[in-house]
Amino acid sequence: MKKNPLSLLTIASSKGRVTKRYPFEEPLMTSEFRGKIEIDESKCIGCGACVNACPPNALELLSSSGTKTLRYFIGRCIYCWRCIDVCPVGAIKGTREFELATDDVSDLYELLIHEEAKCSVCNSPYATVRIVRYVATRSPSTEGYVSMDPKCRQEKFVKAIEMRFGGLSA
Amino acid sequence: MSFSDIVERIKGVRGVTEVVTSRSALFITATADALKPLAMEIYQIMGGFFRTCIGSDERSINNCFAIYYIFGLDDRGLNIVVKVYADSKKPELPSISDIVPASDWCEMEARDLFGIEFTGRASYRLILPHGWPNGVHPLRKDYSYDSRPVTRAVSERLTLVDTISTVPIGPYHPALHEPEYFELYIEGERVIDVKYRGFHVHRGIEKLGESKLTYQQVNFIAERICGICGFEHSTCYAQVVESAAGIEVPERAKFIRSIVLEIERIHSHLLWVGVVAHLLGYDAGFMHTWRIREHVMTLAELLTGSRKMYGLNLIGGVRRDIDLSKKEKILEVLDTISKEYIELASLMVSIPQVRMRLKGSGVLYKEDARKLSVVGPVARASGLRRDVRKDLPYAAYRYASFNVPVYDDGDNFSRLMVRLDEIKESISIVKQLLDQMPPGPIKVEEFIVPEGVVAISAVEAPRGEDVHFIITGHGRPFRWRVRAPTYQNIPALKHMLKDQPLADAPLTIASIDPCFSCTDRVLVIDSSGSKRTLKLGWGLG
Ligand code: SF4
Ligand code: SF4
Repeated sequence: MKKNPLSLLTIASSKGRVTKRYPFEEPLMTSEFRGKIEIDESKCIGCGACVNACPPNALELLSSSGTKTLRYFIGRCIYCWRCIDVCPVGAIKGTREFELATDDVSDLYELLIHEEAKCSVCNSPYATVRIVRYVATRSPSTEGYVSMDPKCRQEKFVKAIEMRFGGLSA
Repeated sequence: MSFSDIVERIKGVRGVTEVVTSRSALFITATADALKPLAMEIYQIMGGFFRTCIGSDERSINNCFAIYYIFGLDDRGLNIVVKVYADSKKPELPSISDIVPASDWCEMEARDLFGIEFTGRASYRLILPHGWPNGVHPLRKDYSYDSRPVTRAVSERLTLVDTISTVPIGPYHPALHEPEYFELYIEGERVIDVKYRGFHVHRGIEKLGESKLTYQQVNFIAERICGICGFEHSTCYAQVVESAAGIEVPERAKFIRSIVLEIERIHSHLLWVGVVAHLLGYDAGFMHTWRIREHVMTLAELLTGSRKMYGLNLIGGVRRDIDLSKKEKILEVLDTISKEYIELASLMVSIPQVRMRLKGSGVLYKEDARKLSVVGPVARASGLRRDVRKDLPYAAYRYASFNVPVYDDGDNFSRLMVRLDEIKESISIVKQLLDQMPPGPIKVEEFIVPEGVVAISAVEAPRGEDVHFIITGHGRPFRWRVRAPTYQNIPALKHMLKDQPLADAPLTIASIDPCFSCTDRVLVIDSSGSKRTLKLGWGLG
């Protein structure tokens, strides 16, 4: 084909229109697209694994009296789905949702409130009720100490050793 | 010169205290006095290139500051790292910028961020903003990542010399896509000098990686260093940690990385060709290049989950596999784009007006390119055969045969031709790798990153080599440094713009395919205020 600037007209007319009339038409999107996440309230145990993995701090675990709140802030989410990779109970699901713009920032927060478990000895909060239940059912051998916070657990352990061997130091 | 000759010559320099050899690098420790003779030996006599230098605050380990200079002997695939200590109270080192002009910026970066002074050269603020207080050096370990010093607002204007007309462009300008500031000094229609002030969009990513994030988290933030070639950064980061920790990445993961890297190069070059058409006033060419590019973007989403910001890499491998149906889709898209793109590209370069604007404008001579150690298509258009994919093969590039297009004229047309040819090569690389892709796992899950290991990795991004440097720490990097390709190429603009008509300036600036946000990953200033007199010299200070 001999080239001249008008050749582009031939190309253009053979291609026709390629842009979509979004939002009146379906957006161009593949099946693999990563969008917003959804946390299943009934499955989440409040362990915080997703919080530790989330690169931009979109997930946070906030403590207040008696509760632990898992807060998802969509405004920070980079849709990487790392949280899905690490959740031990498969509570997080990826969606293809991306039309998330809003004029009210509170629309961008999702809260999941967990009840806090208190240590059976000293009564201070140390985990969520669901984690305790999760650990207890997963490994029944923890029964003797799962309801205590780490400090009381340690004390119990030291005492047990003292009873048997007369102390840790020789 | 054989490898042992190189080692012997380096050991022969007075003040070299230690030489350690590893697979792809020579690690040298030397005293400050040995710095200039070493630079002379490696850069001038052995013909090495300069990659960058890296400041580091090691007072908590050995009560010193340190600088690591990275040189590359490209033709033998060897990196040479020279480490020099600086006093913790009064850190001062001799500047090597007279011997290695390419070291101008990284010395000033270390001065701003660590407070290390360089003697025997003119100093200026490169990274920190004008109003930033003196004596506050944000990458020092005793400076917390979330502190906010009190800053003043100070004018960006660099120079106003009465006898010369100044054309300021930026920091916010309709023709610039990112906040950057150029001052062009004009006599009649000719540009006689240029000053550049960048680093407006410093995001403190390195600091964040060294103080807040974990090894795996940094990967996703590293990808966000650049909005066009982010995958190169995340690959480069993953590789540098893998090399420090001795992680053997599964072969299949390496193939997937190379395939996606080439797909990124195709869409990046197509984007650039479109922008150049637009700057030439040839908007129809722009529209059609981007129409073709759209196929590649959709393909990227299919392979990774996102058009950009793929989130594909992890330290240890990749997160998504390429199955048979995806493979077929890749081949289909490559067929479409290669036909359409070749038709469009040959049409574009045949248009007389396009040729006239591009030929002979923005020339960068080979000597200047070499002095400044420029990288990528800018280097290859000025006759330098540099390509990390060949020189220091990584991922799966050793399994593909491809040409490195080199042109000698150094003008805007050569830079266009390099990129057009590279698109063809990339299409062929992807096809070859898809054919040979081995089965197997795509990541290793369990690994330990030991502390205190130094490693370097380089990846050939569409704009040139990315370099990542790491000193491993506890749970996260102790020091992580990113050198984006544009960081190396911007200083060359001074040579490219000089003695050129003003009207060609936007095109020439675009011809290096600058990515300012890459360059600015880290925060320029003149403490004396706004006025400075015009000085011609190295760098764009
Ligand atoms: S990782 Fe899963 S279970 Fe744990 S807090 Fe996150 S969503 Fe809940
Ligand atoms: S998708 Fe990524 S950014 Fe969003 S909440 Fe999950 S881990 Fe955080």
